[in-house]
Amino acid sequence: MKEQLLSLKKVNKFYDEAHILKDISLDIKDGEFITLLGPSGCGKTTLLRCIAGLESIESGDILLNGESIKDLAPNKRNVNTVFQNYALFPHLTVFDNIAYGPRIKKVTKEDEIKVKVDEMLELVKMEGYGDRMPHQLSGGQRQRIAIARALINNPDILLLDEPLGALDLKLRKYMQTELALLQKQTKTTFIYVTHDQEEALNMSDRIVIMNEGRILQVGSPRDVYNNSNSLFVADFIGDRNIKEVEVVERKEDFCSVKLGKSIIDIRTDRSMVKPNECDGKVYLAIHMDKMKISYDKVDNSLYGEITFVHYAGSQIRTEVDVDGEKVTVIEYQNDYDNYRIGDKVYISWEENGAILLPKEDIEKRGN
Amino acid sequence: MKKSTKERLKQNAPAVPILVYLILLVGIPLLLVVLLSFFSRDSLGNIVFELSFDNYKKMLDPVYLRVFFNSFILAILTGLISLIIGYPVAYFTAGLNRKSRSFLILLIMLPFWISSLLRTYGWTILLGKDGLINNALIFLRIIDKPLNLMYNFGTVLTGTVYMLIPYMIISIYNSVDKLDRSLLEASYDLGGSKLKTFFKITLPLTMPGIARGYTLVFIPALGLYYISDLLGGGNTMFLGNLINNMATRGRNKPLASAFAIGMILLVLLVLFIYSKVSKNSKESLL
Amino acid sequence: MNTKGSKFRTFYLSLFFVILYVPVLSVVLYSFNKSSSTAQWTGFTFDWYLQLFNDRVIFESFKISMVVAIITSTVSAIIGTASAVISSYVSKKVESAINGVMFLPLIIPEVALGLSLLIFFTELNLTFGVPTLVIGHSLFCVPYIYFMVQLRLQEIDSSIIEAAKDLGASSWQIVKTIILPLVIPSTLTGSLLAFAMSLDDVIISTYMAGPTGTTLPVHIFSMMRTGVTPKVNALSTLFLLGTFLLIGLNQTIGRKGEKFYEEN
Repeated sequence: MKEQLLSLKKVNKFYDEAHILKDISLDIKDGEFITLLGPSGCGKTTLLRCIAGLESIESGDILLNGESIKDLAPNKRNVNTVFQNYALFPHLTVFDNIAYGPRIKKVTKEDEIKVKVDEMLELVKMEGYGDRMPHQLSGGQRQRIAIARALINNPDILLLDEPLGALDLKLRKYMQTELALLQKQTKTTFIYVTHDQEEALNMSDRIVIMNEGRILQVGSPRDVYNNSNSLFVADFIGDRNIKEVEVVERKEDFCSVKLGKSIIDIRTDRSMVKPNECDGKVYLAIHMDKMKISYDKVDNSLYGEITFVHYAGSQIRTEVDVDGEKVTVIEYQNDYDNYRIGDKVYISWEENGAILLPKEDIEKRGN
Repeated sequence: MKKSTKERLKQNAPAVPILVYLILLVGIPLLLVVLLSFFSRDSLGNIVFELSFDNYKKMLDPVYLRVFFNSFILAILTGLISLIIGYPVAYFTAGLNRKSRSFLILLIMLPFWISSLLRTYGWTILLGKDGLINNALIFLRIIDKPLNLMYNFGTVLTGTVYMLIPYMIISIYNSVDKLDRSLLEASYDLGGSKLKTFFKITLPLTMPGIARGYTLVFIPALGLYYISDLLGGGNTMFLGNLINNMATRGRNKPLASAFAIGMILLVLLVLFIYSKVSKNSKESLL
Repeated sequence: MNTKGSKFRTFYLSLFFVILYVPVLSVVLYSFNKSSSTAQWTGFTFDWYLQLFNDRVIFESFKISMVVAIITSTVSAIIGTASAVISSYVSKKVESAINGVMFLPLIIPEVALGLSLLIFFTELNLTFGVPTLVIGHSLFCVPYIYFMVQLRLQEIDSSIIEAAKDLGASSWQIVKTIILPLVIPSTLTGSLLAFAMSLDDVIISTYMAGPTGTTLPVHIFSMMRTGVTPKVNALSTLFLLGTFLLIGLNQTIGRKGEKFYEEN
């Protein structure tokens, strides 16, 4: 396998007394689309700024192509950043904004720069906008110029700090596709910071989930979605029912647990949590949208009474009382969309939608 | 992140020329004023380098105390009258639509750009013995002999208020403009009358602007000697005139220095009060 | 809005602005009066303007004023802007020290300021004239420009600076390509203000003039104190015209500068 493009080795960062990044280690391969995902204040933006060189680190090392860059000033690192508010230079035209990097470095001739800028404008679909001033552009257009301005420098890594945060929902969805496409087209490594799990799940090759300065899980979108390795990740990604349950029996690839009065089997072979870690009390986490309600008895199911039904567009959100535990089920409209409050129903789930998580995890969650 | 002494020196090195400039043109001259205030002069106007408190003792002479008092009262009244006249101007202006508002603001700021001598001189044309006001009053047969409108305390006060009121209006305007109009609406909504709303909400919330305006008017009012010279005719002595006369004609720089120190202390006192009053608001004086 | 209140508002504002401008306008008016007294209007004339142009002393002092104002505004623009930019780079402590001392000339009454420079320059045995006038005027012009530019610097989004750094610019390149272009409009407005203040200054000029440096305001002041003829009115009117030209210039610069910042 090819050598890692970027290696973070036990990176630590403090602001005064606050420990912002705690022993961050991460390897990123060339051409990957990596997303740093986490709630605000988890350290993801700080980590990005450390890679860019806009923040210094107190200990650990950052290697780019095998060489330490931790003491290099930002202008000496071959990484470029797309800032959250775009940070276009207000006094320069679109053309001059994009040409800023090459001109500063003074290695490219002006006529070559012109060719490159035009290429970039084409790449971000902004041909003909070269003479505009930034204040004459819309948010989405500024975004594209910010990306072009960074990409023209052929960076080893493009760092993107919540670049879609300021756009409205529709444009945001559109830009997600555009960005993913752009990344494949330019084969540039993207490190993308967001707090929006949908963005992360849609675009990334790998997702790094962070909380309170630590990396909790690294994996493909599918991996972190289905096989969350901790209570925090399970709670953060997707909508899940999370319940404290008691382990009744441990088997090779499944555990029997007791929720209310029902005893159900949960597969553990695909889960990050191995059966030997399941002991006494554990947490059961089931994706709400991987559950199904039926009036007929099904194997390995929960039994309860409907207490609330909410129709939200194409989805039905149903709350079922299972021996005093509230379980929420999200289904797309189907034949059984005539649930009535008080109906007794069975709830089943797709096997990969349910996981068990160790109990002690709750301490790490911090609340 | 701890920085080494070397790094800190490197970071602050560019400030050296600025500091040299400031020490040379502000620091040393002011220090000389302090020093000189403890010296005296001989009959020829030459400075005698002998430390004494004589100049400060002289300041306690009733004649000179009177000058301090005059200046102090002039500055206080200038602030007060500017406030009373200026507040409604600022308040009403802030309530207008965008276009008229910016036009009136331009009209208020314009005098800053007009020669202050011209503006002072305008009042001598208006208030003089054969000035416009007397002529008009005689023409209207309200009086038959010209009134003596010039060369008294009131004339000087008129001149200083006229000169400085734009500062007051602009700084009050800025705070009225920042005022959250929904607060006023909420107060009306809760049954507060206009007058009550004004005194309970608007006035307290614009206090920072008033304090700032008062300070900006008070300080220069202490020293604008050309106004009292042209409009007061030397009938009332103010600090500015006194210092100016002593420094130039009287050739007593040590005594002038002592008075200048007294004046600066008065200014610092006002600034100190200002900083206490406006502690909560982050308004800077500029 | 009730109409009674709004009528009062209109009345009050009108009255105020009339009083604000009547003194200025009467100076202008009487510059065209044939009689040299304000007692009566005896007819329209340009005589006072003609007399003005033939007055060598006034012309000389006008020249001195212009030279001083031009040098002062240029020098102050450079020192003020450079100081503001530098102070944004040094440590917080040094910055607030600079701010504190810059603040002094703005709050200390000019008489005291003028006196302090008079004493200092006398001790140094300097010859009073144009150079001392320039130094004296810069004393209060530099801080104005300094604080105006500083205000503008604080408005610059720090991520713009970071973006430039990220794109490979060194500190000096950032100053040259980003910071200076962004603060130049403030510098220009500030130096126009400095120009106007220098041209208008009476108090410090009185101390700094010496026998060879009588500026126009110093000369006008002595004219006003001794015998007043409508020549003073004529001169003031011309000055006013010049002022309006300056303001027009300032407005244009201001508008150009604002363009960038609308969205900032």
